[in-house]
Amino acid sequence: MTGLADMLRTFKLGAVLLALPCALAFGANVKPDPNGLPPHPVKDLHYGDVLFYFYQDDYFQAITRLLAAQELHRVPNTEGEAELLLGGLYLSLGEHVEAGRIFDALLAANTTEPVRNRAWYYLGKVWYERGYLEESERALRKVSDKIDPRINAERYMLLAQLLMRQDRYDDAITLLRAWRGAPSWTAYANFNLGVSLVRLGRLDDAIPFLDSVGRIESRSEEFLALKDKANLALGFAFLQGKRAAEARPILERIRIEGPYSSKALLGVGWADASLGEFKRALVPWLALHKRNLLDAAVQESFLAVPYAFGELHADGQAADYYSSAIESFDAELQQIDASIEQIRSGNLLERLLGDDKRDTVTWYWQLQNLPDAPESRYLYALLASNDFQEGLKNYRVLNYMTRNLETWRDSLTAFDDIIDTKQKAYTERVPKADAVLASTDLDGLLRKRVDFESRINEIEQSNDVAALGTPEERATWVRLKDIEEYLAAHPDDPDLAEMREKHRLMKGVMYWKLSESFKARVWNERRSVKELAASLKETQRRTLQVQQARQSIPSDNGEYAARVSDVRDRIDRLHDRLATVSDDQSHFLQSLAVDELERQKDRIATYQVQARYALASIYDRAANQKPKATP
Amino acid sequence: MNFNSRVVSITLCAAVLSWAQIGPSLAEPPAPPAQSAAPAPGAAPAAAEAAPAADAAPAASAAEAQAPDAKSLDQEVQGLKKDVVELNKDLFVLEEELLFPANTQVAVFLSMDVGTFFALDAVTIKIDNKEVANHLYTAREADALLKGGVQRIYLGNQKVGKHELVAFFTGKGTVERDYRRGATLVFEKGVGAKYLELKITDRVAKHQPEFLVKDWE
Repeated sequence: MTGLADMLRTFKLGAVLLALPCALAFGANVKPDPNGLPPHPVKDLHYGDVLFYFYQDDYFQAITRLLAAQELHRVPNTEGEAELLLGGLYLSLGEHVEAGRIFDALLAANTTEPVRNRAWYYLGKVWYERGYLEESERALRKVSDKIDPRINAERYMLLAQLLMRQDRYDDAITLLRAWRGAPSWTAYANFNLGVSLVRLGRLDDAIPFLDSVGRIESRSEEFLALKDKANLALGFAFLQGKRAAEARPILERIRIEGPYSSKALLGVGWADASLGEFKRALVPWLALHKRNLLDAAVQESFLAVPYAFGELHADGQAADYYSSAIESFDAELQQIDASIEQIRSGNLLERLLGDDKRDTVTWYWQLQNLPDAPESRYLYALLASNDFQEGLKNYRVLNYMTRNLETWRDSLTAFDDIIDTKQKAYTERVPKADAVLASTDLDGLLRKRVDFESRINEIEQSNDVAALGTPEERATWVRLKDIEEYLAAHPDDPDLAEMREKHRLMKGVMYWKLSESFKARVWNERRSVKELAASLKETQRRTLQVQQARQSIPSDNGEYAARVSDVRDRIDRLHDRLATVSDDQSHFLQSLAVDELERQKDRIATYQVQARYALASIYDRAANQKPKATP
Repeated sequence: MNFNSRVVSITLCAAVLSWAQIGPSLAEPPAPPAQSAAPAPGAAPAAAEAAPAADAAPAASAAEAQAPDAKSLDQEVQGLKKDVVELNKDLFVLEEELLFPANTQVAVFLSMDVGTFFALDAVTIKIDNKEVANHLYTAREADALLKGGVQRIYLGNQKVGKHELVAFFTGKGTVERDYRRGATLVFEKGVGAKYLELKITDRVAKHQPEFLVKDWE
């Protein structure tokens, strides 16, 4: 069986955001391909480009490209999806305020209920993790029950945790009692319900819920841990309610090798001790005494064991154990002091992030491995806590952003060079361009084209067939015209009769030839005119471009230079701010760690004082008894 | 149960009565006991009185004591991150406009629709017989393409006028067969930016992949 945690881990924000655009893109009319992924026609190339990075979990690259695409109006067909994705990307970067603003605006508009539900759910979850409980509750309550049952169950559990975190146990009980869900989730609901009832002092009402979880049959480590936790909670609730006899069998259900076994051993011992069975109580306590002193339950056993010996009137053994406890506590206190010094030296976060893959940022990043350092053993619980993890994520993202800005800052030098090169090229090319522009009589060429077209029109209208003949044909036609003029000047010359006949024949043949090809030649000429017109239009356009470029390049270069200068200033300012806030974040996390160690130190110091006090009492008792024994 | 044992029991009670976190947090170790103040047997009653009050605080009281600082710091980080994201966008736009002005810009995108008959390994692009892009795909990138991502595989500058684009696709076809195909397009680069899409689609009727080049503008 797949563990619930595994199941949840795979069901991350990315998966849901993947579903968000799809939910918008593929309406109810599109059936998904049952054998594979549904077809997805590309509606905007640049939106697809964003998704390419998004699907690789590179959220920073994705958000940059999406914002750029929106600014350059490159996502006209995916506007709604893009905005929803943007909200999700902000969320994945931990930018819950901006994400909330986008979702608020977007989800008020025309979005489908499933999309709305998912968006609110994830916003609520991130807000919960960041400790914005009111905002989280508002978002989670906006989710309707018409949502994937798995998400809905997790939503109810989140809401319950949120209420319990605010000590609103009555509200949590009402919520959990009304909820009906899959059996895999019922155990969590019952556990939280039981804990809420215990917190309100309603132990008898809590028993069935905690007991049912404490009897779960499962092979899953996750459920076995929950089972142990329920038994531990119920056992200690019995102890707290002075029902030691009932506590013992419940605590005995807890696995001896599980994560809660130390507390269970301590509890079993106290149950026995409460019933006056001090000898029996020593069995679990002595077992516990051999374990790692780091565990709070083990620390308590260092007092509990001699206490039991004391109750059994074995003062010698009690004194030995108290002495050994004082020494152990002393050694532990020294180690904690050394760890506090280490943390104050400022290396904690660097060590924590030492093996971190630093090239991506995602809000679902978690610290996987603890560094092999002395302080790690004391900070295990703190490092796994929400507050520390969230703060560490912030610190990590700030570091990523600092590196990102440093890379850009290096690029700006190249930008300056490009602008300089452009300016140089412009200066070199302007004289040539000016010369070309000056030598080009575009107006004259345009006039010639108009004249040419008019001439074609005249030829066509006057049916001047010879005008479009070949040079040879036109020469022949001119000679025939000359002959015709000569013959016209000598109308009565009988010797020219034969020539007149030949001329008539030749002119007829020539005219017939010219007429026959005239239409085709007119068409060809008109086509040439059109081509000429097109070429002239292109020349006009290019001339205009050259003129515009000639005027605009200096101002464009100036504008680019100003933009580069502006972003350089912004990089410098943000780099400084990043350094400051990163330091603040680092100090904050260090102070959390130091506070945690100080608390452990205080606790051990208190135990140590109590051990000394108890030891002194034994010595006093022994001292008081000795004189009586001597006659 | 005597007084002292009651107190020690109560001390741990707050810790064990923390709520059940769902999900990955279950893998976390159990929370440490709340404020200790657990008196040893025989300790002064005054010390013992402190225990129940301390119990009322949830296990994570340490962090919550810092909550106001944490929140204001978080808000400061939020604002800062937004400014960095905004600046990054401005830098991205500036870089593109400076290096690839619209009048010479040609961008080639690659998309995969379904991809049942073809598993992409590499793409090579030539424009006017000159290789301008060559990309080997990781499993992660190929997966992103299959999910609907579109890769901008080439962004460059080309002069106004006619150009010939040739793309070579290599990968595995059906039954793990090596597959290499090409697609060609002659396109006209105008004054504005030119976007071309290399499309790998499934030709269901022939049970074969199809490689197309689409001119978007």
